[in-house]
Amino acid sequence: MSKLFKRTLIIMIVLFAIIAMTTAVSTGWNLYNDLIAEYKSKGSAIARSIASSSVETLLNREPSTVQAMIDQFTEILGVSYVFVVDNQGEIISHTFVPMIPREIIQIKNSTLDTSRDVSIEGKGEFIDISFPIVEGTVGVVHVGMDKGIIFSQLRAGMFRQLSLLTIIFIISVVFAYMFVNKISQPLNKLTDYSRKLASHDFTATVDIKSQDEIGMLAETMKSMAMDLSEVFERYELALKDAIVELQDTLAYLTAVIDNMADGLLVTDTDGIINHVNPALSLMFHMREADMIGKNCRDIFGIELFELVEKSRKHPDEAFTTGIKLAGGKFGQAVATGIHKDSLEAEDVHEKGIGSVILIRDITAEKEIDQMKTDFISTVSHELRTPLTSVLGFTEIIEKRLEENIFPLLKPMDQGVIATIKRIRNNIKIILSEGERLTALINDVLDISKLEAGKVEWKMERIQVQDLIEHARFATSSLFEQKKLEFRQYMEPGLPEIIGDRGRLIQVLINLFSNAVKFTEQGHILCQATKSDNEVVVSIADTGFGIMEGDLSSVFEKFKQAGDTLTDKPRGTGLGLPICRQIIEYHGGKIWAESQPEKGSIFSFSLPVLSALPPTKGKAGFLHYEESEIQL
Amino acid sequence: MQKILIVDDDPLIRLLLEEILTDFNAKGIQISTADNGLTALELIKREEPDIIFLDVMLPQMDGFEVCSIIKNDLSLKHLYIIMLTAKGQEIDKKKAHEYGADYYITKPFTIQDVIRKVSEVLGASSQ
Repeated sequence: MSKLFKRTLIIMIVLFAIIAMTTAVSTGWNLYNDLIAEYKSKGSAIARSIASSSVETLLNREPSTVQAMIDQFTEILGVSYVFVVDNQGEIISHTFVPMIPREIIQIKNSTLDTSRDVSIEGKGEFIDISFPIVEGTVGVVHVGMDKGIIFSQLRAGMFRQLSLLTIIFIISVVFAYMFVNKISQPLNKLTDYSRKLASHDFTATVDIKSQDEIGMLAETMKSMAMDLSEVFERYELALKDAIVELQDTLAYLTAVIDNMADGLLVTDTDGIINHVNPALSLMFHMREADMIGKNCRDIFGIELFELVEKSRKHPDEAFTTGIKLAGGKFGQAVATGIHKDSLEAEDVHEKGIGSVILIRDITAEKEIDQMKTDFISTVSHELRTPLTSVLGFTEIIEKRLEENIFPLLKPMDQGVIATIKRIRNNIKIILSEGERLTALINDVLDISKLEAGKVEWKMERIQVQDLIEHARFATSSLFEQKKLEFRQYMEPGLPEIIGDRGRLIQVLINLFSNAVKFTEQGHILCQATKSDNEVVVSIADTGFGIMEGDLSSVFEKFKQAGDTLTDKPRGTGLGLPICRQIIEYHGGKIWAESQPEKGSIFSFSLPVLSALPPTKGKAGFLHYEESEIQL
Repeated sequence: MQKILIVDDDPLIRLLLEEILTDFNAKGIQISTADNGLTALELIKREEPDIIFLDVMLPQMDGFEVCSIIKNDLSLKHLYIIMLTAKGQEIDKKKAHEYGADYYITKPFTIQDVIRKVSEVLGASSQ
């Protein structure tokens, strides 16, 4: 049953009930009044006929005759009783059985009203109609009309009417049902149709051909469905294209990742492995399925996990570490944080969604590095032995000449004096060049070790002042030789740093001796200041300065600023590159500023204790060893 | 009589040291040489030289081993050992220290280095 019909039915029932009640009440009332009036006229007609026909008998006092007459009248429908009262007020005859009820005795003398209602206990309701006989001189006739009959007639009438109404109601409900159905059926069809449309079934159709509003609605819906199906088809095609394109891109990316020579590892922020490529599986001799979903700490160890942590905390930096691969090979892992470029998350940690780690097999490079270091080490060893002989014997020659030969020669001979002078000079050149060669061998060995990360660092807490004093002491003879003034400025309250004392003194000695080497007159100023989280040490000289073109390459190997100078001071060309290696290992920076003919400033910065970053990149040993070898 | 032993497989280095030490020789200090570790060890045990110049790279037995044998021998322990090394690496310095060497000279050395050290040691031991 449709909802529409239900509602209609309820409205109909209510309306019918109101109509039924109203008509029943009004018809009932009318019928009642009509019946009362009819009974009254009927009663009074009977009373009148009794009165006119009973005059004589009454005058003759023949109650039995009267009795016989009135008995006949009780046969008439509706007449309940009849009694006659004489002029004395006595009931002379009546039809009551077995006796006159009390209520009748009370009203027997009332003549004023022609009719009245009487209720007799045990008998019911009656209308009592009285009629005087001969103007009341003889007596009064009373006729009692039974109200019960009126009521039963009233009930029958009402029942008929209600039955009729009910039949009409049922018929009208049937009609209403048919009518509502006629409206609601196409509506239901439309509802089904629109439901199908909503579930994207555009093959569905609706069969409504009527010309009314519903028909129009159906037509509109049909054309709308057609439009919709077209739009949907278009979007589905576009979606298919997009999916195909996306799949292609994904396949391409996957192919790129899968064919990378380097191992790729992707983790989430907790270090859980999300993705690996075949190269990585190969490197670690592990199956992909054994790695996915596991914590990289359990699979690759604490170093890699720490790398992930670091890259998560500093998403803009790349961190590297060495890692052991399967089969005794070595890898280098580079980790970077993956973060979304969303403006919503202000905190970098919120943006972070994981880390991507690239692992490269550097076994070959390591071997080559090792070979290079070994080679340089061997070469330097092989060079040192003959160099020792060259220098040693030259010194002995010099000594013997000075002690044993030169004193024997005649000092007066100018030629001999000149020759002696020349010999001394030549021997000095051999010695100084030999020393330079020694320094070069030392520096080559040093820088190759620094570059290969084979230097053992003795990291300890250091006062910068202490470093400067040591370097100043070690180079004091150089300052004296050139008669240069050494000035220094120390910012009060300089914080401690952590570093390799010997190596940092090496840097300072190098910078001091460079400054002295390139300065003919004036002074050298050493400053140590604090800025942010760093201590900056700068050494300014009043020397030749460096040409701008050379400034950028002074820290490169074998690039001496002196190259452009005709009267070039000699060095190994490795001093500043070694300084750079040492400073960068400490997490600092080294740089040079210069003005030709006015002087140069070489500066380096070192992070202070609290701001020390974790060592990254180079494999170094960060340990605090206080004891130094004293032999 | 004071004695100095030079142990090096390179004859030129032996000669150089001998030349440097001629002045000491002239003063009556005995100078002997050895070109390998085993010979050196025999000589040391026999002669008990006051100073031993000991090269690291030696045939048959390397300098560190010779050094550790001497330093672990109670009767030879007092002998002054100067290691000669061409490398100058920290690892060698450390090793020399571990094996109990008394001093360490890197090649190339100057004659002053050698003379100063020898005078110092001999002076101290002769007193």
